[in-house]
Amino acid sequence: MKSNIVIATKDLNLWYGDKQALENIDMSVREKSVTALIGPSGCGKSTLIRVFNRMNDIIDGCRIEGKVFFRGNDIYDPSEDVMELRSAIGMIFQKPNPFPKPIFENIAYGPRVHGINSKKKLEKIVEKCLKQAALWDEVNDWLGDTAMGLSGGQQQRLCIARALAIEPEIILMDEPTSSLDPLATSKIEDLIYELKEKYTVIIVTHNMQQAARVSDYTGFMYLGELIEFGETKQIFENPKEELTERYITGRFG
Amino acid sequence: MSFLAPSKLSRKKRGEGTLTEWVIEKLLFISAIFSVLVVFFILVFLFGKGYQIFEEVTLWEFLTGDKWDPVGQNIEEKPYYGAHPLIMGTLLVTLGAMAFAIPLGIGSAIFISEIAPPRIRDFLKTGTELLAGIPSVVYGLFGLIILTRWLQINFDKPTGETWLAGSILLGIMALPTIISVAEDAISSVGKELKEGSLALGATKWQTITKVIIPSSISGITAAVILGMGRAVGETMAVMMVTGNTPIVPEPITNVFASVKTLTGALGIEMGEAPVNSPHQHALFALAVVLFVIVLSINAGAMIIMKRIKERHYGIAGKKKGSRVLPEPIKNFTDSIKNFTGPIKRHMDTILGIFAGIILIWLLTSWFGIPMGLVIFFMVIGIHFFSQSLSPKNYQTMALGMVTLSIIIVLFLLGALLYYITAEGIHALSWEFLTESPRNCGREGGIYPAIIGTLYLTLGAIILAVPLGVGAGIYISEYAKETRVLKIIRAGIDNLNGTPSIVFGLFGYAFLVLYLGLGVSMIAGQITLALMVLPTIIRTTEEALKAVPHTLREGSLALGATKWETTRRVVLPPSMPGIITGIILSIGRAAGETAPIMFTAVVFSQPGLPNDPSDPVMALPYYILEMSMNIPGGQGNAAGAALVLLLLVLSFYLLAALIRKRFEKALKGFR
Repeated sequence: MKSNIVIATKDLNLWYGDKQALENIDMSVREKSVTALIGPSGCGKSTLIRVFNRMNDIIDGCRIEGKVFFRGNDIYDPSEDVMELRSAIGMIFQKPNPFPKPIFENIAYGPRVHGINSKKKLEKIVEKCLKQAALWDEVNDWLGDTAMGLSGGQQQRLCIARALAIEPEIILMDEPTSSLDPLATSKIEDLIYELKEKYTVIIVTHNMQQAARVSDYTGFMYLGELIEFGETKQIFENPKEELTERYITGRFG
Repeated sequence: MSFLAPSKLSRKKRGEGTLTEWVIEKLLFISAIFSVLVVFFILVFLFGKGYQIFEEVTLWEFLTGDKWDPVGQNIEEKPYYGAHPLIMGTLLVTLGAMAFAIPLGIGSAIFISEIAPPRIRDFLKTGTELLAGIPSVVYGLFGLIILTRWLQINFDKPTGETWLAGSILLGIMALPTIISVAEDAISSVGKELKEGSLALGATKWQTITKVIIPSSISGITAAVILGMGRAVGETMAVMMVTGNTPIVPEPITNVFASVKTLTGALGIEMGEAPVNSPHQHALFALAVVLFVIVLSINAGAMIIMKRIKERHYGIAGKKKGSRVLPEPIKNFTDSIKNFTGPIKRHMDTILGIFAGIILIWLLTSWFGIPMGLVIFFMVIGIHFFSQSLSPKNYQTMALGMVTLSIIIVLFLLGALLYYITAEGIHALSWEFLTESPRNCGREGGIYPAIIGTLYLTLGAIILAVPLGVGAGIYISEYAKETRVLKIIRAGIDNLNGTPSIVFGLFGYAFLVLYLGLGVSMIAGQITLALMVLPTIIRTTEEALKAVPHTLREGSLALGATKWETTRRVVLPPSMPGIITGIILSIGRAAGETAPIMFTAVVFSQPGLPNDPSDPVMALPYYILEMSMNIPGGQGNAAGAALVLLLLVLSFYLLAALIRKRFEKALKGFR
């Protein structure tokens, strides 16, 4: 059951100042699947995921060569609208980052900045997204309360709901469970599993078990290079590269 | 061999050490409590002198009477003590100043923290600090010889010494406060919030108005209030450009009316009022009114700042488990919401209005288009635009507006420096720097004034440094969070907010009259020392707190006493910070006029003072008198202003250099 490719990179190189952070990345992500990026700290996996919604643009001294295709267009083409791109590609960050606003306003924020102001529509969106993020039952009586009062896991699911509210095609997750406890982590993992029915998920994780549990495809990165990319099962059970095998079996270094 | 046997490294005598420790702690405590005493004495002396006016008039008559004529130059030859026109003067000038300073200040703060690339950001911050370092008498001179003339010619008025001139000048002077406090608040908003908003496809401007500014609104409010406090308490610049007519403008919107402010009345009349006359008592009562206004403004800012801290803490300390906030915190956040909610909701409108004010100001002042017409078209234009603009175009327009505000600020700074230099450079010569003034300062030089300023400043610093550094050490290293510390902090905060003219009045009432020191160098030095004390205390405290706690623990764990730890481990790395504070205080003391004009200075003196009981000449006072009271003296006033400016700015430059090194040095252990 191979589906269409939704986003792909070609000969992608990236520098922070003089330091090269990504080297010749060629990678294709398939629609409605979960793709995991693994690798040791500093291998460039977070940098790579931030390439997809151009979040690296806000970092001073960041320079990119190569192409990144989304829906057949190069997203780094000067004519591309970054705001539009980012509303088609949602992102979840390492640390939950709800706005210091009420729960309702957090989710309504995205639709509002894209011009939806009708209270009724917003209420519908908020309810739908909170349900999708499996948070509705826990917060539906407190929508007017500040989001800062939620627990870490709830905050992260709120951020997922917030990303869903802009109806993205792809959801990028940058180590979304690294600051959460095991219970909250397993809730998020369940959620990821459900999300792939409708969305394409790309997740960066430093937790190999997590990659094995939730993803369909896995890429292993090392020192800014994509060493190996393939179906998760193949990567974990029968890696082609020796480096991958050593990392996966914990015999690294 | 017992483990308890004293080793060679052990102290000679236990008791000796603890006694020293005890004495030092008490000494530090006394220097800390000193600020509270000063505030107390200021209040006692202002009230003590001021309340005597109520033998002449009632409190109600004093506050609401609409005639201020304490000398009684009217037909009935009867004095009037109605402070209402003066209070109105202060309020109107301050409001006008805020109308300029708020949009420009917040716009600049947004530009500096969100838009400027790092290198330009540093440059702009330095520029802002430069604006803060310029002495107020130099601002006044700029206002007098450039701004008022420009207004007079441009608007074709009989005189440019008006409410508007005062407001523009005060607006410029309040800018650095507003910019730096607002910029701090805006940059303290976490990067993760920015990224969260951008990742949802919001534009930069949407992120700024909907996430960043609402998150920092309390800090921005505090910035505005602090700027207001600065404007209300300012004396020299205001009294040099407002014309000083104690009448409420008629109609009240007439910005070209001449007004007199509370500080203006104090600055001008205090020197003329006979000792212990009702006039003098009335002036002290005015000072009480001024003190109360400024303190309540600063208290407002303090309360808001405290809220921010608590709220930031609430965000930083990751809460776990509990969904519903504890009741007090919830009430607290609700109260913030009630307070800032409407502001947040209408952020766009508010920013639009700010932008509008800048534009109206520009159009009316530079192109002479009638204000009503401009406003009319603006309203229509904004309505039409906001309907049709895409977020992206809206952003371009808004960012343009923000960039414009920083350009205006830089332009003002440039204009000020340029004109003072251009006007003053002609007066500069070797003779000017080395000779005494002749013919009322029109000829000769300013040598005694330069030396007098150095004497005053040096004396003030020698008096203030031990007290200030001691208090800073006590607060940072010794004090525990008790009620006593709260009182000390409140004392320092109040001292910090006290307008310089109030220090001048206190020095006059307490040192000159009560202690009988007379108008003397020592009285001026003490007054200036009191004024710079809070700056030294604060910078010392901050420098000490920046030293990592682990260093103290390391030293204590080796058996060092508290004072040994403080002296050998904590003080050395914080020295650059403390020195920076001292140099900033030197700059401030050198440039101030109000605290010394009744306590220490004379306009002209043939030579140098022989001992501390002699009066001295000083640059700021010389500039004031030359520009206001000596016909044909403005050229030399500008020359002296240039000298003073160079003197003060070189102090600030030195402080900036030291801080740069300090930051580098501290990087090591952070």
